[in-house]
Amino acid sequence: MAAVRGDASDEVLMVRYQRGDRDAFALLVKRYNKQVYNFVLRQLRTPALCEDVTQEVFMRLVQNAADFKHEARFSTWLYAIARNLCIDQLRRLQHRRHPSLDQPLGGDDDGRTLGDSVSAQHPTANAERSAVGSEVQASILRAVDALPEDQREVFLLREIADLPFKDIAEITGASENTVKSRMRYALDRLKQALCEFEEYARALR
Amino acid sequence: MDCEKFDRIVLDLLYGELDELTEAAARRHIEHCARCKGVSSGLRATREVGALTLVDPPDSLELGILEAERRMNAALPLGKRLGRAVSILAVYAMRPQLAMAALLLLMIGSSLFFLRSRTSAEDSVLVTERGVAETEAEHVAILAPPDRRVTEAAAPLASAVPKAAAKGEAVAMRGREEQAKAAEVAPAPAEAALDQAAPGAADAEAPAGSEPVDSMEAATAAFQGGRYVEAQRRFEEIASRGGADAPTAALQAVEALRRQRGCPAAAPRYDDVHSRYPGTSVGSEAAWQAGDCYRALGELTHARQSLEALLEVPEYRSRAQTALQELSAREEQVASAARKAKAAAPPAAAAAPAPAKPNATVDAAH
Repeated sequence: MAAVRGDASDEVLMVRYQRGDRDAFALLVKRYNKQVYNFVLRQLRTPALCEDVTQEVFMRLVQNAADFKHEARFSTWLYAIARNLCIDQLRRLQHRRHPSLDQPLGGDDDGRTLGDSVSAQHPTANAERSAVGSEVQASILRAVDALPEDQREVFLLREIADLPFKDIAEITGASENTVKSRMRYALDRLKQALCEFEEYARALR
Repeated sequence: MDCEKFDRIVLDLLYGELDELTEAAARRHIEHCARCKGVSSGLRATREVGALTLVDPPDSLELGILEAERRMNAALPLGKRLGRAVSILAVYAMRPQLAMAALLLLMIGSSLFFLRSRTSAEDSVLVTERGVAETEAEHVAILAPPDRRVTEAAAPLASAVPKAAAKGEAVAMRGREEQAKAAEVAPAPAEAALDQAAPGAADAEAPAGSEPVDSMEAATAAFQGGRYVEAQRRFEEIASRGGADAPTAALQAVEALRRQRGCPAAAPRYDDVHSRYPGTSVGSEAAWQAGDCYRALGELTHARQSLEALLEVPEYRSRAQTALQELSAREEQVASAARKAKAAAPPAAAAAPAPAKPNATVDAAH
């Protein structure tokens, strides 16, 4: 089997995996596992399920690898799988109560939420948060989590997955204009959440 | 660009999804419109400050995915594996390049089919005909008998026919125009006299040279229909073209000649066929017929030569031996008759005319 080049496109890697090249699949996992994990995390807001759902996303990819067409965009296909799995999980969560990121931990944690606790478990995120300002980041996360589901979905697909509006429209089944409207509303809500911070006010100037 | 249009594209501008012209127009609008500039800068600042910080997934996630993938492929049922293989093959099969290649192969294949089907047996015969360069030589070889045999066999008639006449006969086979030309060269060939003697048969013949290519079927039909002149012409045409039918046609041509003019004309032609196709069934049959003719003509020496040539041919050996024994007996009879005549002849008989040739005796018997 030829060695997989690191600069090969996602679609080329997927076609190679269709032909049985498992190194290509490993490279795709390396490229996307962090983004998919964060997308699932922000969608479900339930860290206990996040790892399993992310793994399930890639397993669905393996199962349906033969259906992938070279003409399609790999990231669009991958996030469509991730979105559908998140929707399934959210439906299940409505029946079962899992601890939410916004839920106060209680006890001696001084009102800290589960989201704060999850972020604290990740040193990288913690360092970045320190640079920007933990308070601002917490407000951002709260604002994102507080978004209506359809707006949050579009916001995450745009900001985390970096998908163009056209592809987001394809994944969500909405028109491109609808997607842009939802994104605009999401940004407006985020803007309101950040207005109180002086740093943000400076950026506006 | 107005503010309304700017509102529609402001998100595209923010995420860099505009084409160059529209983006330039939007930027020009911002420079002159404070309201749209505020909207654009507000969204940009919100995006920059409010960017989500991605958390690192657990280290076990990547390994877990790869391990799960390995297990899943190992546990894949045979049907699903086959389905996957078929899907992979279908991906290749549906490619336009493959379809083009298949179409090209189909076109080449069908072209070859049509090209092959255009060739026919007649075409190949024509090629063969033009490929034979010794037509003239063949005619001469077939039809020009040795002077010696013509002289001995055809007696006064044949002796009057020189070599040029024989050549004239060969030329006469090619067609009406060449016949006329041959007639100028040899105005009184022996066969011309014979044709005049049998006008009914000549009238029944089809016009010579009217058909460019004679077939064995036509020649055989003419032979069986008693049209021996036509049959001879057709057989000789076939023999001159060469090919698989040439030996049989040459023999049949002599047969047709024999039916017209008897053994005096046919015997030397049999010899020619024998010499042209030695060791073949046609050559052997020609030798046998030559021996038969020479015996009928009383030319026992030539008959013996022809029959002796057949002693080495298994199919003709017994017949040839029997014929040679009969020949020996006849030679003995002739010799004894000659001795008796010589003994009984009075001395005065020396002045008498010479006794008739044995040939004449035999001819009378026949």
